[in-house]
Amino acid sequence: MEKIKSIEDFKLLQEMLIFGRDTNIPTLVISAGTCGQASGANDIIRVAKRELINEGLTDKINLRITGCQGFCQMEPSILVEPDGTFYPRVNINNMKRIIKAIAQGKVLEDLFFVDPETEKPIEKQNDIPFFKNQVRTILSRNEKVDPIRIYNYIENNGYSSLRKVLEKGDRTWIIEEAKTSGLRGRGGAGFPTGLKWEMLANQPNGKGKFLVCNADEGDPGAYMDRSVLEGNPHSIIEGMIIGAYATGANQGVVYVRNEYPLAIKHLTIALRQAHELGLLGENILGTGFSFDIKLVRGAGAFVCGEETALMRSIEGQIGEPHQRPPFPTQKGINGKPTAINNVETWANIPAVIEKGAKDFAKIGTKNSSGTKIFSLVGKVKYTGLVEVPMGITIGEIVNDIGGGSDSNAKIKAVQTGGPSGGCIPAKMFDLPIDYDSLAQAGSIMGSGGMIVMDEHTCMVDVAKYFTNFLKDESCGKCFSCRKGTQRMWEILDDISNGKGTITHLELLDELAQVVKDTTMCGLGQTAPNPVLSTLRYFRDEYVEHINNKRCPAGVCKELITYSINENCTGCQLCIKSCSENAISGKKKERHVIDPAKCIKCGVCKSICKFDAVVVK
Amino acid sequence: MEKLKESAPHKKAKLTSNSGLCLTCAWVSTCTFPKDPEKPVLQCEEFESEEFKPETTLKIVEKYTGEQGELISILEEVQAKYGYLPQRALKIVAERTGRSLVDVYGVATFYRSFSLKPRGKHLVSVCLGTACHVRGAPHVAEEFERQLQINREDTTPDKEFTLTTVNCLGACALGPVVVVDGHYFSNVNTVKVNKIIKKVRDGLDKVEVKTDARIFPIDVNCPRCNHSLMDPSYLIDDYPSIRVTMSFENWHGWIRLTSLYGSFKIESEYKIPMGTVANFFCPHCHAELLGSSNCPDCGTKMVPMIVRNGGMMQICSRRGCTGHRLDTNGVNL
Repeated sequence: MEKIKSIEDFKLLQEMLIFGRDTNIPTLVISAGTCGQASGANDIIRVAKRELINEGLTDKINLRITGCQGFCQMEPSILVEPDGTFYPRVNINNMKRIIKAIAQGKVLEDLFFVDPETEKPIEKQNDIPFFKNQVRTILSRNEKVDPIRIYNYIENNGYSSLRKVLEKGDRTWIIEEAKTSGLRGRGGAGFPTGLKWEMLANQPNGKGKFLVCNADEGDPGAYMDRSVLEGNPHSIIEGMIIGAYATGANQGVVYVRNEYPLAIKHLTIALRQAHELGLLGENILGTGFSFDIKLVRGAGAFVCGEETALMRSIEGQIGEPHQRPPFPTQKGINGKPTAINNVETWANIPAVIEKGAKDFAKIGTKNSSGTKIFSLVGKVKYTGLVEVPMGITIGEIVNDIGGGSDSNAKIKAVQTGGPSGGCIPAKMFDLPIDYDSLAQAGSIMGSGGMIVMDEHTCMVDVAKYFTNFLKDESCGKCFSCRKGTQRMWEILDDISNGKGTITHLELLDELAQVVKDTTMCGLGQTAPNPVLSTLRYFRDEYVEHINNKRCPAGVCKELITYSINENCTGCQLCIKSCSENAISGKKKERHVIDPAKCIKCGVCKSICKFDAVVVK
Repeated sequence: MEKLKESAPHKKAKLTSNSGLCLTCAWVSTCTFPKDPEKPVLQCEEFESEEFKPETTLKIVEKYTGEQGELISILEEVQAKYGYLPQRALKIVAERTGRSLVDVYGVATFYRSFSLKPRGKHLVSVCLGTACHVRGAPHVAEEFERQLQINREDTTPDKEFTLTTVNCLGACALGPVVVVDGHYFSNVNTVKVNKIIKKVRDGLDKVEVKTDARIFPIDVNCPRCNHSLMDPSYLIDDYPSIRVTMSFENWHGWIRLTSLYGSFKIESEYKIPMGTVANFFCPHCHAELLGSSNCPDCGTKMVPMIVRNGGMMQICSRRGCTGHRLDTNGVNL
């Protein structure tokens, strides 16, 4: 690829690519992000290529491989443009039929998505409730773009915001736009992006400034950033170049978590292509402005999502957070001024410039503008990534988009904000989602993880899970975090094993407050949140574990027993699968589990076809 | 102020009932290498996965510019090479980068993805993220422990499997998730654990070339002169092979590739060392087959060939790399 030497040349290239598009032929869009590939999208793609080549259809049907679309449970899925026909959970054996139908301009009704509420098939993606109720500013771009083809991005108006910014040539205008848009950091803390950039821009230019994209996404259960990194890496690159122009930064770093191999691969390719075209490096598009981006891989440490620890990790040291002030914009990587923003924040920047700050701010609420991508997971019917305007209620997300509970069990709570966040009970589901309201309820927006829990989820177990996670991930520098999380976990472990007392609850409360008040960094300061919020809204579950030695949700191993009820047909399947020989019974007779031998592994419950295994 | 109680003098921790174990596999209950508990060794020969050569580590360090920030990347490459971080490699890294050995060990032990213990051939990672947790991931992890008869972070005595846990792979909608050697298994429950282990033992990349629907033959031509590159007189995988000319260093000869998309068999006139980047030419017009794309797996330039019914096939020009691209709509970069 030849370097583009000027803004004019870029305009010409973009016009040529848009003009060269053949919009008369249908496009077969297959989503192949990590989830898609794990569900077999690669096989679908192979077979699609085979059909197109063997049937001589390569000039009659376009093929586009994209990243994550967000409807993860229905993958591998196919979208047919321009009609918008959607085929969920495609089976490799149906590919021949599907391609034939596309070539003939027909649709296959038997393969449509069926709405379980109405039992009616729905043809078009945008009519499916999961998609209909979202506002997909960022995620819709994933559909249009093949992440490892830069020309595809440019053809879809990619790098136009950069062009606009360079043509205008006014750095302060960009910062003003960022401020007017009201864009707040999507990593969780919600710091106004425009303000952060202004602070960096005000630092003297001479010795170098850094811009960082925090792609560590350590919150378990959150994977919004992954979908943007895999599906549209150029949007992040474009956002960073614009940010660099505005603030005077000359070096950029994308810090990607090690556990995202596909994101790393796509980013590497995207950076290489941007470099080849001259959109990164020296003298970008002949404007004299230089900026380059390096990719740095994480190595498995949750605390490195914290900005000061992140900077130490980039410097090749252990990820121990540091005191602030000095803030990163004053003294960051190698002592140079640094601004760190989350992936989703960067991905929003081209949209802010393209739409204009005022129009961007029209979506959302007064103090939280724009959209936010959430990963809706757990005990909900439709799990996946959802992009919604700020101000939408939790209930609308869980019920209208998520489709409510995935079983007969009632939904009990949602957990937001990952290990730094808290649980919000079902009775508060009319709470609107924005930075401030969630904080008041005892949780935080966080990076966007939203985990739905039902009556089979034990809240004591949830608090114990998060505290266990945090005690392992604590860097160990501060005594109160290092020992505090350890002790909180021990108390929760005792409670979940039936060894808890009521004084434990008071101790837990006090301990949580102390850890919150006396730790240096965000990890420790928010570590008590899972405990405090479950104590606030689900104290009765704790009391049940302590006073009655009972786990109402049927989770805590020491407090439950497995037994077989009258549904048992005596098929002996569980007897064969039990590794401890704990089940006995003759054929056609109700089987019995020996509680002394039972290790509560759950295999018998999973394997029983008659729902005869009961956990109490 | 109250006088603090004097704590008992710190006793030297005894190695457990499996005393006499080397420190590397001290927590592996399956290590049977007899050692002297008075003189623990850092790593026993029983788990040597690859013969250790200092040059290998030196080559890795030399690729970097020497900036302090590169330590983590260097360690990642060393681990990719050996499956873990051997003590001897860490000493070389410390020496070459000018960091103290304590510093290097600090980094190696701080980050979860590094292992100081040798790992087995197959790395089984069970995701214990929140979404997977509420769907029963702890049961899955325990079942793996039971089936493989090892604890987490341990390796089986036949050196085949290492079991580890990870704190969120980002595939939450498909939880519980288990990754083995880069292959993702979704919606795993305790019943499926056995099947996964069996599949790994049988070979995850094993494909039945004859019956697999995903494998099909393609016919290719030279992008310059449009002459067919097929050679029906020489079959590979029972199909006409693709013949091109290839050169590397002083060697210049033919190379034949399978025309089955999905199989990666090649035969060549001269033995090509793994990792060599070669140049490819059309045997009819002698033009160099050099594409403008880079290999998605390793970044090397690719070899383009036109597919007869429409489309472009590109393969990586590096021996041993299976990176490739099949574009059905022309090469859109």
